Amino acid sequence: MLRHQWPASAKPARVVLLGARGFVATAVRDVLTAADILVEPIGSAELDLTQASNAAQLQARLRPDDAVVFLAALTPDHGRGIDTMMANLRMGETVCRALDQSPVAHAVYISSDAVYRDEDAFITETMRTDASSLYGVMHASRERMLQAQLGNAVPLAILRPTLVFGGGDTHNSYGPNRFMRAAALERRIPIFGEGAERRDHVFVDDLARVIAAAIAHRSSGVLNVVTGQSIAFADLAGEIAALAGPDVEVVSKPRAPGPVLHRHFDPAALHRAFPGFRFTPRGDALARAWAAYAVAR
Amino acid sequence: MTTPVVGFAGLSHLGLVSSAAAAAKGFRVVGFDADRSLVQDTAAGRLRVVEPCLPELLRDVASRLTWTHDASALSGCDVIYVSVDVPTDDEGRGDESPVADLLRTTVSVARPETTLVVLSQVQPGFTRAHQRLTADRPDLHLFYQVETLIFGRAVERALHPERFIVGCAESSARVSAPLEAFLRAFDCPILPMRYESAELAKIAINCFLVSSISTTNVLAEICERVGAEWEEIAPSLRLDARIGSKAYLGAGLGFGGTNLNRDLEIVQGLSNRFGTDARLVSAWRANSVYRRDWTLRLLHRVVLSQCASPRVALWGLAYKQDTASTKNSPGVALAEAIAGVPVRAYDPAARLERMLPHVDQVESPLAACEGADALLIMTPWSEFAGISAAAIAARMRGRHVVDPYRVLSAADANAAGLSVYRLGAPELA
Repeated sequence: MLRHQWPASAKPARVVLLGARGFVATAVRDVLTAADILVEPIGSAELDLTQASNAAQLQARLRPDDAVVFLAALTPDHGRGIDTMMANLRMGETVCRALDQSPVAHAVYISSDAVYRDEDAFITETMRTDASSLYGVMHASRERMLQAQLGNAVPLAILRPTLVFGGGDTHNSYGPNRFMRAAALERRIPIFGEGAERRDHVFVDDLARVIAAAIAHRSSGVLNVVTGQSIAFADLAGEIAALAGPDVEVVSKPRAPGPVLHRHFDPAALHRAFPGFRFTPRGDALARAWAAYAVAR
Repeated sequence: MTTPVVGFAGLSHLGLVSSAAAAAKGFRVVGFDADRSLVQDTAAGRLRVVEPCLPELLRDVASRLTWTHDASALSGCDVIYVSVDVPTDDEGRGDESPVADLLRTTVSVARPETTLVVLSQVQPGFTRAHQRLTADRPDLHLFYQVETLIFGRAVERALHPERFIVGCAESSARVSAPLEAFLRAFDCPILPMRYESAELAKIAINCFLVSSISTTNVLAEICERVGAEWEEIAPSLRLDARIGSKAYLGAGLGFGGTNLNRDLEIVQGLSNRFGTDARLVSAWRANSVYRRDWTLRLLHRVVLSQCASPRVALWGLAYKQDTASTKNSPGVALAEAIAGVPVRAYDPAARLERMLPHVDQVESPLAACEGADALLIMTPWSEFAGISAAAIAARMRGRHVVDPYRVLSAADANAAGLSVYRLGAPELA
């Protein structure tokens, strides 16, 4: 649940985006720029946050009235093992050390729903984090590192988006992005087994608007960024196939044995935090993502 | 023995209703409160609580009632109840200090051999801990009695209790003669037990009610998804003797009000203190919050996400029908959660305690419906049931009626072209 230091939205002096090369950061930057908010993007090419020795460089770039959005992370595409986790934790260390020496006005950490157990079929913000994967453990740890570092001195919003999709996503995890890639290149969308697993999917532009809203209200607390509408992978694949053309088919691939796990979220906290926020209807969001993907190709 | 005179110290909801019930049973009653203006208002019939039949009952028994802000008037009583409601904060934590203060007052004014009864909602251990207040008055007899007041049904419950649960200093102790004479007038079983047992019995009752409410709500939500009707299932459960014909099996928006939350808070506090497993209580409370937001989720899904400039009609601000209390009210919580969406709200008795700029409180239910995209019926006041679906539809711009408590006839509403959403039932579009 979020609390707003600014009940009425306002413009921060400047927003520093850590992890500025990613597709979420790009969307956030677009939203902030459109709102005429000054953005300071910092990408890995200019400042490698996995090197704790770079904390001083980061510190030097921060101002007391900044809002910092911490998006930088090596996703599971870069590996699911200990090396990736430790590199991500070092990023957290670098950011915390910089914030220790150069406090800012507001911090927003983009975490993940991976902090919850995979077996949890119904999730709200009141549930304790109990990550099943090292990726989730990493995000939960970085959340705690920031909470410990910032304490009550700096408002910290922790946003936990569920599966994000949208144009420009280079990741290839099971879901809309991979389905669109497969539809475009192979004219067939493979799903595992019956594709019965239900998941919530968030359009990247919607996530960017939630992040912008948290900045505009100088929010603190924890919020899951979720639509509350879970859909089976088979149905999602069908919707994407319909967008891609009549020749695209959805095909079943063997599925690893094991129980079918679903994931549903309660979106009420988001509705309460931002009463005026509306998600892009899934059909529109998929169409926009598909169009962006087609342009990119 | 002569008919005892009964005193009530503390004239909030509990004391006022209890005074009326005692007088209705033929006893002379002294109602005391240190708040002079409250006493004056009560004596003049300007009641600060809304409770069906209470004004009429107080008028009928007025000749046996004495209202006073002078504590010494209690010295004429054989039995004095400490009957102030325990105030609670937003987390349900109670403040028992007003009870202790009133107990001190009654001890100081009671005549010899008076029976003192703590009727307020106190934690297990309160009465024994406060026996020390009577240490210098061994002539006094101190008891605790469970109250089972239900907002909106308080008069009925006070006049026709199922039983009296009376806490005594020891299990073997007897209820004092004047207290027994008073309680016998209500013609129901009297169950004496240790103070601690009686204090916990009160909480146990509420825990079982919460258990039924929570179980109902969990299953009602599944009904909504699988095409089942909870209203068809509930009667079959009531015929099961283990569940009972009067079990709380109505689907709702969590549990509101203060009493249930206060008692759950007490159980959790005791569990923390003594290291017992009360995780179930946490689950009940979490589910209550979740179900409270049923309307919010629905509203976003069917209206706010679909409509460019939505307007909402809201019937019911009280946390339940037949009361003006808005504490933990689902209607108020909803109004607060849709800031920026214009709301026209109507309630027969309750007013918003804190003004909300987007909420316009109007004077009739149909006025609230003018131009609305959705009607939300958040409190099942009986007067809402008499309003024709056609009249509602004629005033609304949209077609959505969210009627969690089934106040309107779903068939009539559907026939008037309205889509109806109810707890524990499939959507009727």
